[in-house]
Amino acid sequence: MNGRLFRQTLRWQRTRLLIVLLAAIAWGVLIPVIYNAFSDMVRELANSGSIPRELMSVGSGSLFTLPGAVTLGLQHPLAIAMVGIFAVGASSTAVAGERARGTLEVLLARPISRTTLYVSILVALLLIVLLVITAILGGMVGSAIGLGLGDELDLAALPLVVLNGFGLWAAFTTFGLAASVTFDRPGPAIGLTLAWLLIHYFLEILGSLWTDAAWTQQYSLLHHFNAGAILTGELAPLDLVIVFAAAAVPLAYALFVFPRRDLAAPA
Amino acid sequence: MPALTDLTIDVAAGEIFGFLGPNGSGKSTTIRTLLGFLHATSGSASVLGRDVEADSVEIRRLTGYLPGGIALYDSLSGEQALDYLGDLQGRETHRRDELCDRLELSAAVLKRRVRDYSRGMRQKIGVVQALQHDPELAILDEPTEGLDPLMQQAFYRILDDLRAEGRTVFFSSHVLSEVERLCDRVAIIRGGHLMAIHDVTELLAHRRRRVMIRWRGDPELDSLPGLEDVQVHGSRVHGTLTGEVAEFVRAIASPSLEDLTIEPASLEEAFLEYYADPSGEPAASGPREDGS
Repeated sequence: MNGRLFRQTLRWQRTRLLIVLLAAIAWGVLIPVIYNAFSDMVRELANSGSIPRELMSVGSGSLFTLPGAVTLGLQHPLAIAMVGIFAVGASSTAVAGERARGTLEVLLARPISRTTLYVSILVALLLIVLLVITAILGGMVGSAIGLGLGDELDLAALPLVVLNGFGLWAAFTTFGLAASVTFDRPGPAIGLTLAWLLIHYFLEILGSLWTDAAWTQQYSLLHHFNAGAILTGELAPLDLVIVFAAAAVPLAYALFVFPRRDLAAPA
Repeated sequence: MPALTDLTIDVAAGEIFGFLGPNGSGKSTTIRTLLGFLHATSGSASVLGRDVEADSVEIRRLTGYLPGGIALYDSLSGEQALDYLGDLQGRETHRRDELCDRLELSAAVLKRRVRDYSRGMRQKIGVVQALQHDPELAILDEPTEGLDPLMQQAFYRILDDLRAEGRTVFFSSHVLSEVERLCDRVAIIRGGHLMAIHDVTELLAHRRRRVMIRWRGDPELDSLPGLEDVQVHGSRVHGTLTGEVAEFVRAIASPSLEDLTIEPASLEEAFLEYYADPSGEPAASGPREDGS
């Protein structure tokens, strides 16, 4: 890994990261507040049968319990957008963007192997993703404790939640970076990575809304990060295996392909 | 279809080597192969005694590279861009101040964002980033593009100094006048094939020269050794001299000789032979004298 390249990758993202971190904390704080304010009403509505229970959930999350609200908060499109800015946007443009701008040529003229370049960018992006996930969870936990709801969560399991969440988003980050080292233009890399994320989101949401299609959730990576379940002591070790395996495959692909690619002169 | 075929070039340490060819001839492909951006399907190449595939990182540590039409990070200032690229190079950038002085890159200019730079300013930054760490070998792709004439002269002097210090320069260019001015030897490439390698001085000495002779009265056409393509217009004779100049001048010297013009051979004319397609016509995108 190259420390200077790592730091510079962080610098490229610093303004965006600062804004997203603030938004992530705010979003995290909001979730227990919403739960505290509306959970009784939601439960009553669900029990009355006027609204199907499935429609009161987002993916694997719901407002029926605080752990469920935590899952909901992490699977909500807003949270996905906040992490996705880096796991999808920054990763898929990291190399393809340099290539399209012509700066990759200047960069690769330095004594840095392509493997080093890839690893340095990847580690920086994974750190950013970890920070955003931690910010959302930090906001949630801080807010829950502040509202006196801390005992509804198994806080000792928090590191496992972070680890599982990190594994999930590492899978999308390595996918994005693999797309980035494959294409010469950022457009196809972003498109492919975004499509990959949306497929998983669709499978997760489809399965939660339509009980007959619940099996589709198993094929969604998002389904293998259930923060609420972990916070109630129900960690499924297979989830960790699945998300980290999903991260490892694009990583191995990129490490094989990128050093062997011919990089013709930019158009 | 292979981009490069039968390309064998040896560049001696301490020389400025010109690499010439029309657009699409394979100049940049050659350079990119030397730097490890492209992988040759067959054959081998070494730079500074190191294999371009196995030792690519070490080659790039010892090399300074200026890409053609360099792109820089628009959001950085000139100084930040040089710092960043210098740090990544991993060597002291002790030539930077001198280079900035010579290319008139003041501290105030370096504080400005790259996005605000003109093309010439970017090219100057490109030159500095390629040479600031005092590389053993400089690979420069169209280095004077965008530089004004004064800066071109300043750049030529920088290369003269590099040569004097024993540095090696591999120099790709369209601008024949600067190749003529700077290079010790030149290689000519067309369609991915090496057409020729020449010593510049030798090449110029053995090239054809355009000759115009005017006599008082009728031209004396009896003794014009080495003059070909002779055309007579009244008392004037035009032709192409292929032989020795001294012998020719001695042969035509007579009291009736009124005027004699022998135009120096330009590299452009010399190279048009190599750029010409099999039908004898010059290639469409051959070398240009002004580099435009």
